[in-house]
Amino acid sequence: MSKEKMKNADKYGMNRLQESVSPQRKRQRVSEPSLTNEERLLYNLIRSKTNIGISTLEMKRETNLPPTVVNKFLKLLVSKDMVKEVPTIQNKGRKHFMATEFVPSEEITGGHFYSDGNLDKELIDALKKVCVKCISMQRVSTCDGCLEWCKKTGVFTTEVTEKQIKGILETLVLDNEIMQMTSTGYGDFASIPVGKTCYICKNKGVVKGGKKSVDSTSFPCFSCQRMSFCSPDGAVSPATCVYYQKWLDF
Amino acid sequence: MVQQWGIKFAVLLITDHFGKIVANVCEKLLKQGPLTLDLLVRYTELSTVHVKNSLLVLIQHNCVQPFHFQGVTIDESKVKTQYLVLFDNILHRARFPKFMEIVSEELGDKCAQIFKGLLHNGRLNLKQMVDRASQEKAEAEDTVRESLCKLLMARYVERCPIPEVSIVEEVDDKKKRGSKAAKEFKAPVTTEDRVREAATHGDTARFSLTADTGYNSDEETKPSDISVAENVAKEESTLWRANFEEFIRYLRDKALIENVRARMDDGAATVLRAILEATRNKEKQVKIEKSVPLPLDTIFTEVMKTENGRTMTMDRVKASLVQLGCSNQMLYEYIIDLEHIIHWARNEEVESIVLKRYGRDAYRMFRYLSKAKQFCPTDKIADDTLVEKKEAPKLLFKLWKENYLQMEKVTVTLSAGNTGKLSTIYMWQVNQPLLWEHVLDELYHGALNLKLRIAFEQETNEEILNIPKKKINDSEPLRKKHRRLQNVILLLGSSLIKLDDTIMLFNDF
Repeated sequence: MSKEKMKNADKYGMNRLQESVSPQRKRQRVSEPSLTNEERLLYNLIRSKTNIGISTLEMKRETNLPPTVVNKFLKLLVSKDMVKEVPTIQNKGRKHFMATEFVPSEEITGGHFYSDGNLDKELIDALKKVCVKCISMQRVSTCDGCLEWCKKTGVFTTEVTEKQIKGILETLVLDNEIMQMTSTGYGDFASIPVGKTCYICKNKGVVKGGKKSVDSTSFPCFSCQRMSFCSPDGAVSPATCVYYQKWLDF
Repeated sequence: MVQQWGIKFAVLLITDHFGKIVANVCEKLLKQGPLTLDLLVRYTELSTVHVKNSLLVLIQHNCVQPFHFQGVTIDESKVKTQYLVLFDNILHRARFPKFMEIVSEELGDKCAQIFKGLLHNGRLNLKQMVDRASQEKAEAEDTVRESLCKLLMARYVERCPIPEVSIVEEVDDKKKRGSKAAKEFKAPVTTEDRVREAATHGDTARFSLTADTGYNSDEETKPSDISVAENVAKEESTLWRANFEEFIRYLRDKALIENVRARMDDGAATVLRAILEATRNKEKQVKIEKSVPLPLDTIFTEVMKTENGRTMTMDRVKASLVQLGCSNQMLYEYIIDLEHIIHWARNEEVESIVLKRYGRDAYRMFRYLSKAKQFCPTDKIADDTLVEKKEAPKLLFKLWKENYLQMEKVTVTLSAGNTGKLSTIYMWQVNQPLLWEHVLDELYHGALNLKLRIAFEQETNEEILNIPKKKINDSEPLRKKHRRLQNVILLLGSSLIKLDDTIMLFNDF
C-alpha cells in the first residue's frame, strides 16, 4: 500500500487494526533482524494477537515452551525492539506483551481516561471543574461549548477530545452537579439551536421552602455502615454508639 | 407484611404509651396477623383478663379493629372474633404533635382543645367532650358542638368505625387464589384493607354530627337548629375519633408541593397547590396516583384564588402545567402524575443515603443504575461512571450486600484472543420497589434508635432531671449538665420528627 493510499484509508476512517497492521508490517520485514525458529514462533504468536497483546502465561500455554525459555526469548525480542511490554487494566500483576508496531487497544488501556493502566483521576477532576465552571459562567452550554472552553483555558497539556468531554458531562449529570436539558430556543437557550442537548448547573444552596430530608440532618444512622449489626441489645447499639456520642457532644 | 424493624418501632411506641402488657399483646398481633382471644392468651402467656383489657385499650385508641369471617356455612367455631392490629395507626401516635399543629393552625384553639381530647382518649362521645371542656373552662355545650362541627366539616374528625365487622371469607386455597390473580392481574387486597373498608361508614354518616336525623355537616346548620332532646340517646352512643387519613392527605399534599417547589419553581408549586385544593374532597384514598382531571379554566380560577397565584398569567399557568408533566389531554383536562413526584422524592432520599454511607463513586454508580433500569455489567458501569475498574466491583458488592442492588451472575465464553475461556460476568440492577421496602425498614430502624437513645439519655441523667430548678441555677456545673441534656433531647426529638416525614414518604404517601 502506498503512502497516498494509507492517507486515504486514514481519512475514511478505516479501522485502526487494518491501518496499523499492513503498512508497518512491511517496514518491519525490511529491517527484521535474524531470529531463531523458537524466537520466530514466539514473535509470530505475539504479533498475531495484534493490538490486544498477550500475557506471558498465555504464551507459555500456547507455545508449549518451558517458562525459562519463554522469558529468555522475550527479553531478546524486547532488546531487539520488536516486542514491548504494555500495562493493562485487567491483570495489573501480570506481564503483557505486544508487537511494537501496534497501539494498545482500549480494552487493554481502559480508554480515554486511563494512563499507564490507571484511571487518571487528576485529569478527570480537572476536566470536571473546568466544565462546571464553563456551564455556570455561560448559564447553559453544550458539549461543543465545553470542549471549546477547555481548549481555550490551555490548562491541559494533552489534547482533550470530544468523547472525553461527553463522558465528563455524563458523569457530572450522575454526580447531580449539572442537569441535561433540551434547548427550547427561548430565554437562556436562545444561543443554542432548538432541540440540541445542553447542560445547566443545578442551583445548589437554594433550598426553597426548606424541604426536609434525611440528608439535611447530621443524624448518624444513615451514614453508618454498621447499621446491619446494630440492635438494641447487640454489640453495636444506640446507647453505646460512638457516632451518637460524637453527634450529641455539646 | 410489616418489616421487622417496623414491628420493633411500633412495639416501643406502644410500650411508651400503654406499658409492657399491652405492648406484648400488640407485638403478637403484629407478628402473627389477626388472632382470636384464645390464641392471643396462648401466645402471650398472659391471663385472659390482661389480654382482654389490653385489647380494650388498643381498640379504644384505634390500634386494633375486631372482625369476624362470615362463612358460607354458619359454623359456630368459625364465627369467632379476630383482632386485627392497625400498624399505621400505631405509627400515627408519634405524629400527634403534627396533627395538633395542623388543627390549631387551621381551626383555632377551641377546636384544638376538643381534638386534643380525642387524641388523648382515642374515642369520645359528645357528652364526654363537653365534660372535658367544662372541666378546664366553663364552656357551653353549644360551643363544643360548634367546634366538633367545624372539625367534622374539615374531615379531621370522623365517626368511629363499626365496632365489629364481618367480612366474607376468601377461598383459603392459595393455589386457586394464585391462578385467579394471575388471570385478572389484580393487586391482592389484604384482609386489613377489607376490614378497614367494611368498618368505615359512608361519607355522609362518617362526617356528619347528626346523620341519622337527616342533617349534614356539609350543609349550613346552626347549632340551635338541632333539637338536642331528640338526639341525646343517639349522641351518647355515637363515638368520635381523629381521622388520620385526612391528616396524612394534608401532609402528603404539603410534601408534594414542597418537592415541586424545590425541584421546579414557585409557580409550579402554586399551580399544584391550587389543583390539590380544588380536588381535595374528590379523592377517595390517600395514595392516589394521578390528580383528578380538571379543565384549564377551573385550574386558572383556583390559582387566582391563592395569594401567590394572583399575579400569574394564563400563559404562566400553562407553562407550569407543562413543567409539571401535563401533556394536554384530549378532553382538555389536565391530570398531574402525583405518584411520579413521590417516586422522585423517594429516589432522592435513597440516593442521599447512598452518598453519605458509601461515598461519591458509589453514588454515581447507583444513580447510573437507577437511570438504566436494567441489569448492567460491572465493566460498563465502571466505564460510564469513571470509577476505577478495581474499585467498582468492591463498591457494587458492598451495595448488594446491604440490599441496595440486585445482582445476577452470568457465565459466558470469551472469544477473541482468549481461548474459549469461561468467565463470570456480574450484572447489577436497582429494583426500586424492593429497595424502597428495605429503606423503609432502615428508616424504622433509625427511628427506633433515636427513641432508644432518648430513653437512654433520660435514664442516665435521671438525677439531673429530678433536681429542683432552683438548685440547678445555683451551681454552674449542674446548669451546664442540665443545658446539655436539654439540647440533646431537643436534637434527638427534632431528628425523629424529620425522620418521620421520610417514613411517611415511604409508607403512607
